[in-house]
Amino acid sequence: MLYLLRKFALLLLTLFVAATINFFLPRLIPGDAVGAMMAKYQGNLSPQAADALRLAYGLGNEGSAFQEYLKYLVKLLHGDFGRSITQFPTPAADVIAAAAPWTIGLIGVCTLISFLIGSALGLYSAWKGNQRFASALPAIGLFLGALPYFWVGSLLVYVFSLWHNVFPLGGNLDPFIGDSFTPKWWSSMLRHAVLPACSIIITAVGGWLVTMRNNAVSVMGEDYLAFARAKGLSERRILSRYVLRNAMLPSLTGFGIALGFVVGGSILVEQVYSYPGLGYYLFSAVTSKDFPLMQAIFLIISAAVLIANFLVDILYTFLDPRVRTGLGA
Amino acid sequence: MSAAASAPRPRLAALGRRPLDALGSLMRRSPKAAAGIVILLVLSLMAISAPLWTSYDPTSLAFKSMLTPSRLHPLGTTFVGQDILSQLLYGARFTMLIGLLTGLIATLIGTAVGISAAYFGGRFDEIVNGIINVVLVLPGFPLLIVAAALLENAGDWAIIIVISLTGWAWGARVLRAQAMTLRRRDFIDAAVSTGEGPGRIIFREMLPNLSGIIAANFFGTALYGVLSESGLKFIGVGDVTQPSWGSMLYWAAGHTALLKGAWWWVMAPGLCIALLGTSFALLNFAIDEIANPKAANAGRLRAARRGKGRVLASQSAAQTLTRPNMKIQPPNPAALLSVRHLTAGYQTPQGPVRAVRNVSLDVMPGEFLGLAGESGCGKSTLAFAATRLLAEPGEVFSGQSVLEGVDLLTLSESELRRRRWKDYSMVFQASMNVLNPVLRVREQLYDAMQAHGVTDKAKLDARARELFGLVGIRESYLDVYPHQLSGGMKQRVVIAIALALEPKLVVLDEPTTALDVVVQRQILEEIQAVRRRLGIGIVMITHDLSLLTEMSDRIAIMYAGEIVEEAPSSVLQSAPLHPYTRRLMTAFPPLGGERTRREGIPGRPPSLALDLTGCPFAERCDSVMPICSLQKPVLSDLSPGHRVACFLHASPEQLTLAKPEVNHVLASD
Repeated sequence: MLYLLRKFALLLLTLFVAATINFFLPRLIPGDAVGAMMAKYQGNLSPQAADALRLAYGLGNEGSAFQEYLKYLVKLLHGDFGRSITQFPTPAADVIAAAAPWTIGLIGVCTLISFLIGSALGLYSAWKGNQRFASALPAIGLFLGALPYFWVGSLLVYVFSLWHNVFPLGGNLDPFIGDSFTPKWWSSMLRHAVLPACSIIITAVGGWLVTMRNNAVSVMGEDYLAFARAKGLSERRILSRYVLRNAMLPSLTGFGIALGFVVGGSILVEQVYSYPGLGYYLFSAVTSKDFPLMQAIFLIISAAVLIANFLVDILYTFLDPRVRTGLGA
Repeated sequence: MSAAASAPRPRLAALGRRPLDALGSLMRRSPKAAAGIVILLVLSLMAISAPLWTSYDPTSLAFKSMLTPSRLHPLGTTFVGQDILSQLLYGARFTMLIGLLTGLIATLIGTAVGISAAYFGGRFDEIVNGIINVVLVLPGFPLLIVAAALLENAGDWAIIIVISLTGWAWGARVLRAQAMTLRRRDFIDAAVSTGEGPGRIIFREMLPNLSGIIAANFFGTALYGVLSESGLKFIGVGDVTQPSWGSMLYWAAGHTALLKGAWWWVMAPGLCIALLGTSFALLNFAIDEIANPKAANAGRLRAARRGKGRVLASQSAAQTLTRPNMKIQPPNPAALLSVRHLTAGYQTPQGPVRAVRNVSLDVMPGEFLGLAGESGCGKSTLAFAATRLLAEPGEVFSGQSVLEGVDLLTLSESELRRRRWKDYSMVFQASMNVLNPVLRVREQLYDAMQAHGVTDKAKLDARARELFGLVGIRESYLDVYPHQLSGGMKQRVVIAIALALEPKLVVLDEPTTALDVVVQRQILEEIQAVRRRLGIGIVMITHDLSLLTEMSDRIAIMYAGEIVEEAPSSVLQSAPLHPYTRRLMTAFPPLGGERTRREGIPGRPPSLALDLTGCPFAERCDSVMPICSLQKPVLSDLSPGHRVACFLHASPEQLTLAKPEVNHVLASD
């Protein structure tokens, strides 16, 4: 319990830090931040959008930076992320609410799948260390992990959409699909998700593979494994209850760190496929210099990653008795 | 053990002082590192020698739009008429520079933060650790996008700094952990107490030992830098007119290169990024594998596998070493365990180490045999080899180990598995870590029995309770996890597991060394009691000879991989013959005897990698004779059950047998 409380405190602290960075980042730009930002639009900014910017960055507000900061935090707590400039006066929160399910669905599911496939391959590589394929796996994993996500996405589009018309070029659904969650909707949704999903899985699998393999190799050098062998246990039991159960623990503690990285890379895939998730809007916010939307998306991605991380921590307490019973870790 | 702890300033990594030497040794030790270095060199050459390969300016708009690859433009031209090959070559400069700089800056920050947190400790460390954890779980890339978009006008340096600031925490975490274990080591304490300042200690004592991990971290963050930069450029953040692999992809996507069929425009820079990234990842992985003690296992295994070719050679060497004039003894049919001419050891990158050399030994049914000798004399290797538990890189080179008429070393895997634990069991030396930390004690006791056919729940439970009673632990402890037990209790649990199937032989490898004297006594008494009740044979390994003389029926003394003396316990105690045995007897105080000052044995045992022509103890022996360094004394019977390998007690015919050889050696000198 103490472990989870500590992890929850870290979650809150990190969210707070993210929010604080978010507040101070635009103000760190040398000189008049908002003025400089407005100058970037070179007069193309509509009066409403200019108002939105002023609102977002507290221009024209009296009061100290600290008071503004407090106001900003209170607004965040009420779910007010400011207003998008390009889609003025839509609140940034509304844009996010429409985009987030697609991102969470796509990246969440793909992260899970790549974690499972990668860990399974990593375990296999460590277990069958002497075989040719098994010993080549880490190098393959390192190569896959070094591929830029968006580049893999581009290649898949080229092969499977442009060259062979197997999967749609982009988007999340066919136009005029009608009601959600009908069989027709599901098939369209899945068809559109295949290529983005493959891009993410192909690149993300490598990291999990290498991590799991290293963990399993170090577990296989432990005394308790030699003891299990000496007891005459079956290979199956040794693999599942001794190697896997122990090797997955560091994989899970590293999950949070890796997750931020994987999500960061994955959101670029959305841009390649014009998949209307957070990454896609983040890109369009960058190109149209919609800073309030950009920052809101950063915050929401942070929150999603941190919550996913916390869920993994909860799972961890079920798998590691040392944490559960409150003694050292 | 003690020798290893007092060794001054061990180097965790094999990265020596001169970078070129380090590079060479790295490439020899790891094919992955070699591949990484080669890719990196090729890409670097490509970047440096760009003007040699192309005469075009990468930013010149002089050519026609979207030309397909041709002799003049091997990779075609862009939408605005730039030569793609020249962009690729010049772009390498920028992309690699970004990777190296971000790697360097992030590693510097990470190293400084990690090491200072570990060095100063306390409150400071707590705060720093909190910061590291926060930065680690913050998704770096979205933050990077926002920060870089805001800082757009600040130029490339701003982006390099921002990438470094989001990428340092991983290195800080790893280095802090490593530096903390280092900080606790004796030689750092020694430096602190002699008044060396923190700067000197960190730079002179700690940094060199962390060099491998720092290098691995550099390549890890360089990979992060390259991927981040290309991602940023791809979405149009930063100066996309500057040729780099990332900005090439940005323009290719912006001008829908793939729709227009110009796949090479996308393929080439992406592949280059992937290659550069792979080389960084390979180097990170390989250096980490060598430098990081936790992952070192993998390296050892691989080195051993590469050494497979040498195994045959060493096998034949072992065979020729069993001297022709020594007759091969068949296994003793009356013995419970009969080890014959066993030679075993380890494959190392430097060649095979023979830790057990032509050892023959019998254990009678119900007998308590003690096996004694200094650390590193091959006792444990003998036990593991004889029970066929020696794991890679360990290996049995030749010999037999016959348990109840069956040679364990030739059994099939499945037959071996059936016999293990049912016929013989083993209590490991490091019993603190032999219990699986994530399973309840009950499950670990059950699975040994279940693997050998006991599946009835009620029977399992009854037997578990009985066993815990036998070793003196409360039954309620069946349902705890190993970390909830004290060292002594863990040891009892392991002994209970070893007795679970009432095997005929139990091998105890230093079962009580880690325990305090009182607990040690209790446990040994319980072992004795159980042995008498069940009539099991026991082999107990220890370096504590006085303990053995009190407990065992018979004692064998090992030195440098060989048995040098073997006798009934009482005989050995009253009349030890081998000079080594005599020294060993005086090195340990008798249990319960008066605490007088004991003399150790000066000198060290010889390296087991060497093949010695003479007696292995000759160098340290105070009764050494000229013959001792020329010929190996044979283990021969002096009285029934008392064997010794020493020329002081050799029969006349042994000495005369030796003479021609001695003369021969002297003559050839």
